[in-house]
Amino acid sequence: MSITQNVSPDIHYNEVKAYNGYTLLTAAGAKDVYLVDTKGQAVHTWKMPAEVGAPGVLLPNGNLLCAVRTPEEMLTDLEGGVGKLLEVDWDGKVVWQYEDPYMHHHFYRLPNGNTMLLRWVPTPKDVVLKVSGGLPNTEREGAMWSDSLREISPAGEIVWEWLGYEHLNTEVDIVCPLCFRSEWTHANSFVVAPSGDILISFMKTNSIAIINKETGNIDWRWGGFLRLGHPHDVCWLDDESVTVLGCGGHMSGFEMGNSEVLRIDLKSSDIVWEYTEVPVLRFYTALKGSLQRLPNGNTLVCEGDTGRVFELTEGKEIVWEFVNPFYHPSPAYGKNNNILLGAYRYGSDYGGLKGNVGIAEKVKPVPEKKAQTRAEKGASPKGEEALKERLANLGY
Amino acid sequence: MSILWEKHGVRLYNPEKACEGYTLVDPFTSRDVWLMDMKGNYVHRWVLPSSPRNHGVILPNGHLLYATAEPLPPDTSDLSVPRIGSWGIGMGLVEVDWESNVVWKYVDKVQSHSFHRMKNGNTIFPRVIPVPDDMARRLKGGIPKTEDRGIIWTDGLHEVTPDGKIAWEWSAVDHLLDPDYHTLCPLEPRGDFTHMNSVEELPDGNILVGFRNIDTICIIEKPSGKVTWQWGRGEVSHQHYPNMLDNGNILLFDNGVHRKNDSLITYSRGVEVNPETNKIEWEYVADPPQSFYAALISGCQRFPNGNTLICEGPRGRVFEVTKDGEKVWEYLNPFYATHLSVGKQPSILPWRHSNALFRAYRYPPDFPGLKGKELNPEKLEWVNRIYGPAAYKN
Repeated sequence: MSITQNVSPDIHYNEVKAYNGYTLLTAAGAKDVYLVDTKGQAVHTWKMPAEVGAPGVLLPNGNLLCAVRTPEEMLTDLEGGVGKLLEVDWDGKVVWQYEDPYMHHHFYRLPNGNTMLLRWVPTPKDVVLKVSGGLPNTEREGAMWSDSLREISPAGEIVWEWLGYEHLNTEVDIVCPLCFRSEWTHANSFVVAPSGDILISFMKTNSIAIINKETGNIDWRWGGFLRLGHPHDVCWLDDESVTVLGCGGHMSGFEMGNSEVLRIDLKSSDIVWEYTEVPVLRFYTALKGSLQRLPNGNTLVCEGDTGRVFELTEGKEIVWEFVNPFYHPSPAYGKNNNILLGAYRYGSDYGGLKGNVGIAEKVKPVPEKKAQTRAEKGASPKGEEALKERLANLGY
Repeated sequence: MSILWEKHGVRLYNPEKACEGYTLVDPFTSRDVWLMDMKGNYVHRWVLPSSPRNHGVILPNGHLLYATAEPLPPDTSDLSVPRIGSWGIGMGLVEVDWESNVVWKYVDKVQSHSFHRMKNGNTIFPRVIPVPDDMARRLKGGIPKTEDRGIIWTDGLHEVTPDGKIAWEWSAVDHLLDPDYHTLCPLEPRGDFTHMNSVEELPDGNILVGFRNIDTICIIEKPSGKVTWQWGRGEVSHQHYPNMLDNGNILLFDNGVHRKNDSLITYSRGVEVNPETNKIEWEYVADPPQSFYAALISGCQRFPNGNTLICEGPRGRVFEVTKDGEKVWEYLNPFYATHLSVGKQPSILPWRHSNALFRAYRYPPDFPGLKGKELNPEKLEWVNRIYGPAAYKN
């Protein structure tokens, strides 16, 4: 646990319009996961035992859920793999872990305490023969890997499993013509709705889909060749629409070289909102990114490849913008860079940032600090108090 | 719009290692062309009657020669005018003197992308030509059903004399296209089969050209028109501006669009290939690779000291690297404009408020074309105050 001074002046913060809170940054190649405030100052770090490999999230219980690379991973050439999922407390102590050499990209802690994870499974040969698209003869040692979702209990028991190849449609889920057939879909993010249904993004088939938890069927699908370019994160807006980050790689026409954020209406499948930058090529991340809907109606976008995070209002105004100043060598992505695997914002009253076990005894009387402007009403003064104490405790 | 603008102008200059000279800054979207010194002072300005569209070069005689462009005519029934993305198609070539007066002009409504003023005073340039039906039927690849009103376009060359006569011509239909070999990238429209974007006369009189959509550069023998060398497929992806170096190797900009790779990242490269061995003898890739990526346009120029000037076109960035990849000079074009044709052609999204540069060239201080010219930043004092080095000092 340490405080690091922010070394980069690259920050823009509109105090009135931005969602006040702390942003969790998972940087490629790093062993540290960082929490920065709205002014870009790092207020907390967690030291993970190994290099991080997937975006970390802060749980309501105050712990960090994050995945790291391990030597046991089986498919390191497929990009995005992680070998161990860890839950660590505020001080970095591992309180729960789960190992699986086929996990990749993304995780979700369910309200029931179980964890949903994404993993690779080999696709049965008879299905592979029917999967079209991709560059010919580019299976991985003859095999095509597809995605599977697995729900595990805290004890590590498999409670539910979804095998992509049982539910994907070979007529529709076609691999991008310029990608390898080593994988069918290359899922890279998913979120679980309160209903249990799962919204997932498939990079190689350029689509996003909703999986029905009960039946496993794909109830809804959007995207496809030339419509969506290698999506890399999805989030629910509400029951009616979803938002996707379209990276824009392997697209045609002038859509090559720029990313976009699209909101799609679930009933009509129309694009009802979209964001591209001006100039358009300024917003581009080929490989990594994340999206988050904030309680104040803004959207937090992480342009992973450039380490840039920005917060957009519905009116497409940028009200917070920040560039990750933490550089690390990351063999997976480059020699020394500030690529972000994900960035998520948590308000000061978020469960995970309120007073926590183990901290109470360290609380010391602190001088009164000037209250920060809060865009969100209804935050509990108690929560803010506890946070101030916690931060003061850390010498901040 | 991103709030955190990067620093514009010359933002890195290592005088010990950078190659001295004047850089031609030719914004894709505006009518101005600038000549700039190493520190970022603008020392000359041309104002052209229309946007350069592609690029201009300073000739040894001191004139600026450039390719013009017009918005496409609204009448889509005119099948003599290709409508294939249309951003590369020009209307012809114009040569202006130091004071921007037009001294020569050649109009060809299917002239595309580039040109080269030859040793004999003629000018050679690519032009878009239709593929005859019998061959068109056999051409494979590309996005299905994306012919341009049923036409598949390819490229040819015209060499024209100063008084506008065609001295030599060449056609990809007669000399290059082999339907069994040249397959179009699966993400490109079939209407734009080859997409020639570069032409250069070689010291031996032969012609070096590049075709973006089939990832091929080739040397054409003159006058026979025979293709004596082709390279690129499987090695580079949608390249621009192959140009021959003193050592006989060819330097080119490997854009990397639609790369057949599985790492899923996109990145560009500067590449030098030896045409005798077909081996890549030098390349430049950034760290991380995806931080240097130009989907469109762009180019590389080699200097006598071994450094390479690389233009990352769509983002308006020009930088110079040593052979070892160390950056010793960098410039970000501060001149933003919306291309004149935007609004008439909605597909041209990248050129809405853009600082793109098709290519950048640097001329040595003793370049014949600059002899006797006044290169004093004082004469553009007002521009330098806003866009020059003083404006970007921290």
